[in-house]
Amino acid sequence: MKNSIRELFKIPETADLDDTRRKKLLNILLMSMFVLTILGVTFSGVDGIIKGVNAEDLMLVFISGPILLAVIIGIFILNRFYSGKVAGTIFLILLLIVFFFTDTPAELSGGRSLFVFFIPVTIASLLITPATSFIFALLGSLEIIYISSSIGISPNYPGIIGFFLLAIISWLSSRSLEQALKDLRTTNAELDQRVEDRTRELSAALSRETIEAGRREAILNSIADGVVVFDRNGTAILANPSIAHLLNKPQEKIIGSGLNDLLVSDELKAGDRGKIAALLEKSAHEFSNFRVQLGKKTLSVNAADVRDDRNHPVGTVAVLRDFTNEAELEQMKNTFIAIVSHELRTPLNAILGYAEMLKEAVYGQVNEKQKNASARIMMNAQRLIGIVTDLLDQAQIEAGKLKIQVMPCKPAELLDNLHGVMDKIVSDKNIDLITELDPAMPPTIIGDPQRLQQILVNLTNNAVKFTERGSIHVKIQPNHDGRTWQIQTLDTGSGIPEDAREYIFETFRQVEGASTREHGGVGLGLAIVKQLVELMNGKITVESQIAKGSTFTVILPLIPYEAAT
Amino acid sequence: MKELALIIEDDEDLSEIFGQALSAADYEIEIIRDGAIAQNRLKEVVPVVVVLDMHLPHVSGNILLKQIRADERLAKIRVVVATADAQMGENLRGDADLVLIKPITFIQLRDLTFRLHSPK
Repeated sequence: MKNSIRELFKIPETADLDDTRRKKLLNILLMSMFVLTILGVTFSGVDGIIKGVNAEDLMLVFISGPILLAVIIGIFILNRFYSGKVAGTIFLILLLIVFFFTDTPAELSGGRSLFVFFIPVTIASLLITPATSFIFALLGSLEIIYISSSIGISPNYPGIIGFFLLAIISWLSSRSLEQALKDLRTTNAELDQRVEDRTRELSAALSRETIEAGRREAILNSIADGVVVFDRNGTAILANPSIAHLLNKPQEKIIGSGLNDLLVSDELKAGDRGKIAALLEKSAHEFSNFRVQLGKKTLSVNAADVRDDRNHPVGTVAVLRDFTNEAELEQMKNTFIAIVSHELRTPLNAILGYAEMLKEAVYGQVNEKQKNASARIMMNAQRLIGIVTDLLDQAQIEAGKLKIQVMPCKPAELLDNLHGVMDKIVSDKNIDLITELDPAMPPTIIGDPQRLQQILVNLTNNAVKFTERGSIHVKIQPNHDGRTWQIQTLDTGSGIPEDAREYIFETFRQVEGASTREHGGVGLGLAIVKQLVELMNGKITVESQIAKGSTFTVILPLIPYEAAT
Repeated sequence: MKELALIIEDDEDLSEIFGQALSAADYEIEIIRDGAIAQNRLKEVVPVVVVLDMHLPHVSGNILLKQIRADERLAKIRVVVATADAQMGENLRGDADLVLIKPITFIQLRDLTFRLHSPK
């Protein structure tokens, strides 16, 4: 019932919002007038009957009442289905007509009922357009002039002027009202648009975020390294499938558990457990990247702080990598080195020894050709031993197994031994080897004699390889700073091109264009020298001029033996 | 009568070379290829020179060296250590009279051991 009444009075929404507003207003006025008419007819009828007015007047009331109601319904239909403006105009004209009958002509034209003519003027500006108030002021005035003239009095001019004044006021206020409504609607529309835009942006951002998060998760899920993130309380908040696989625990169980729960495993040694705990609990990760043994697996462990936008630590991320294969390979390499070290050198030593004995006529006299052949066998065996030694040294340096000894060492002996090793080689090549020991050098220093000897031999060997005539100078001297000493080799060889100086210290490299066969060796000599020098906390530099020669300078910390004891 | 040199080296070829070198250096030589046998033999004889390999079956060269140094009776023996491990060689310099890093050449050993004869 309520709904059907509401449905009846409902105004269909149109694009013209003002039109809709006017129609609604007219609806209310029509309804009020409908009710007032019924009440008016009823009261007038009852009052007439009680007071005994004549039947003709009574009949007029009972006839005019329904006619008025019918007209109201007609306007209502017009308003509902056709034009609000037309309906409004008819309604106001109807009011003017009704007013005609509501009071005596005298009262209407100048007395107490003059005010009723204000009503259409005001309503017109609201119901039709602001300016129509003037039309109804005019119509009202005409009606009053007509009524006045019908009863022979002059019209109430101040009243008429009042109509027009009211028309002006109504026009202005309605116009302002319409303008305000229009502004409000514009503002509303803008607001709506803004809300809509913002909503669209938000939903786009949200879907982007979702895609991004999904992508990150996919990456995390597909990497082979185990990743686990702990919050500041040490509780795991994120774990990928790889970590679940490495720790042999379900992913759901890892998330939410503390570090200690995760590390409880018979397969993990107490020491390793402590190391991991220390790594993750400290904010400075000084033990970053170490290896632990988990049952048969070798894991490398890394950790880093997780920081927010403002660089505040919010947790720790740990990355565990299965290092089992690499560790096995490393072990195999070490075993291989050990085997080569002992098993390759022994037969080479035997070849060298037998060839030497043949040459020295231990097994009977040999002729010149046989002696020569023995010498070639010896030379090649020596070369092979040299290569094997270099390879082993390089492998040991790489494995971090080569340790520099700390013991007394006599620089003079180093130079004597150098002559012992190199004299034959340089004289075969018809060049001179000149060694020079600065008298200011302490007679005994602290160093590793074997490795220092190796540095001297390798540098000299290198100089011999690239020097065809002239001499090789080897100098040992203390530096002016009093804290370092240096080994210097100066040759008169081919020199090293500028661009080659960068890589001559790299492993397995020789100056390009100079064939390895011509110069012998596998290109490890200088690389080993550089690595040994660095292990001794020293540094090596090279200066060179093409076709004039090269100078290698090794600078090492100086610790005189006397000072050390 | 030539002075006795004991060559304790398990490698057949190297023991031959070392033996020849010491013969050439005018020693009476005896080659032993087993640590345990060497241990027993040192209870019977006091050589002037011992050429000692480190990797030996049954008793290692390292132990033999310590035993020689601990034995008053063997105090005068000149021990020449022959090893392929340069690191180990450095560590033995205190106990050994000479440390030679393999490869060791015939001439090198001959000339060095020649200097180790007892003063006449």
